Amino acid sequence: MFRIRFLRPPGAGAEKDFLARCIQCGQCAQVCPYDSIVLGTGFSLTRSGTPLIYPRSVPCYLCMRCPEVCPSEALRPVPMQDVKMGKADLDRSLCFVYAEDVICRVCFELCPLKGRAVIHTSGIYPVITEHCVGCGVCEYVCPKRCITTIPAWFTT
Amino acid sequence: MTKPSLKFTRRTVQIGVAAAFVAIPILNRWRIDKVYGNFLSFSAAGVPLADPLAALQVTVTGWVWPRDLWIGAAIALVLALGLGAVFCSWVCPFGLLSEWMFELGQRVLPQKYEGWKTRSNGFPLKAGIFSLGLLAVVFFFGSPVLSHLSMPGWYSRIFQMWFLQQHVSLAIGLILLVLLAEFLARNRFWCRYICPQAFLLTVAKLADPYRLQVGFHQEKCTCHKGYDPCQEACSLALNPKTLANIWETECNNCGDCVVVCKKMGQALTLGFGAAAVRSRMMEKEGNKSQASPMSGEMDRGSKALQKEK
Repeated sequence: MFRIRFLRPPGAGAEKDFLARCIQCGQCAQVCPYDSIVLGTGFSLTRSGTPLIYPRSVPCYLCMRCPEVCPSEALRPVPMQDVKMGKADLDRSLCFVYAEDVICRVCFELCPLKGRAVIHTSGIYPVITEHCVGCGVCEYVCPKRCITTIPAWFTT
Repeated sequence: MTKPSLKFTRRTVQIGVAAAFVAIPILNRWRIDKVYGNFLSFSAAGVPLADPLAALQVTVTGWVWPRDLWIGAAIALVLALGLGAVFCSWVCPFGLLSEWMFELGQRVLPQKYEGWKTRSNGFPLKAGIFSLGLLAVVFFFGSPVLSHLSMPGWYSRIFQMWFLQQHVSLAIGLILLVLLAEFLARNRFWCRYICPQAFLLTVAKLADPYRLQVGFHQEKCTCHKGYDPCQEACSLALNPKTLANIWETECNNCGDCVVVCKKMGQALTLGFGAAAVRSRMMEKEGNKSQASPMSGEMDRGSKALQKEK
């Protein structure tokens, strides 16, 4: 299945810099304990073989193992709160809490940056803050599929 | 017990490496991940190894010097500096497949040996592909696309894709296509004329006159003129008797000619600095007991040295 919306692993810089440095050795995918990272397929000379994360399949849990093993500094070790993979976008018209008055705390509870990237206003309403790094966990766990992670390479 | 022949040892190493790069992604799948990577860049218990061309490409595109990548590349280059392009003949899994294809070809559709039509030197073409490719990487692609020409890279990537994400890579077709072409052409053209990954290894090896290389002791040679079992045995169709000249750039120290010569006059040896070093030593010491059987080689060695200079 070809999916167009992918995230780069944590520690990646701007897409152009990332592509200039990634040598497609696949070490990040081999050490990823969650198998979040898959290697790109297809015929693109510059993109095939580079690491991708599809948050709807397996999100990144920000364990930060891949930047440590990257030999070419395409992924650089950074603290998990400084990762720039993208930004989660919550569609309030679908969310249990906003649209259906059902209490749901899944995105808040499972966020790797708990209490920073997703906060609760008025005690129950989830709001995604500017601290969100775009790991995609909330998108993966949301029972209503109302969160979409916008990749950093898409917005800049 | 007899000592196993050089070729047997080499085949064992080659098959071992080829099998290891099938096993590594499987082990990674079981979360045994002390060893990971492919032929572009590899890490074994923290020790990096890398394709020097991959490191060079990253440096010229981003003007960065990634530490681990260059340490790995330096290890590969130092190995080539001392031992010659042994990566190609002892490690590279595509080299193994290519050699098997050559041997299969000779068995199924033998090309009659008539002193091999002398084939042109592949090194300039390889250098051209290398430099043009590097220019394209810098000015056109902006990312290390020359890695797509790495056949051992593809070999290892196929199994990464297969075992890590159950994806059957079309690169299998690419490798088979090249092998088929080599079967028909019977000249191992990828290794000799194209593979830009081997270019830097060759340059490194040429920088060291004391490297491991094939030496030829002319006075021991028992084969009559025009009969060259050593060249017949060479899958790259080089003539070991003239290795002091330009052919030597392409020799990757596989030792097949030495193995064949062992049953003949034992005129070929694999040694460090082979011709050049020994002749120089003899000039200094004037050792008579060694000087006589090696006089032929001494001339060759000093001539080769003069040529290099």
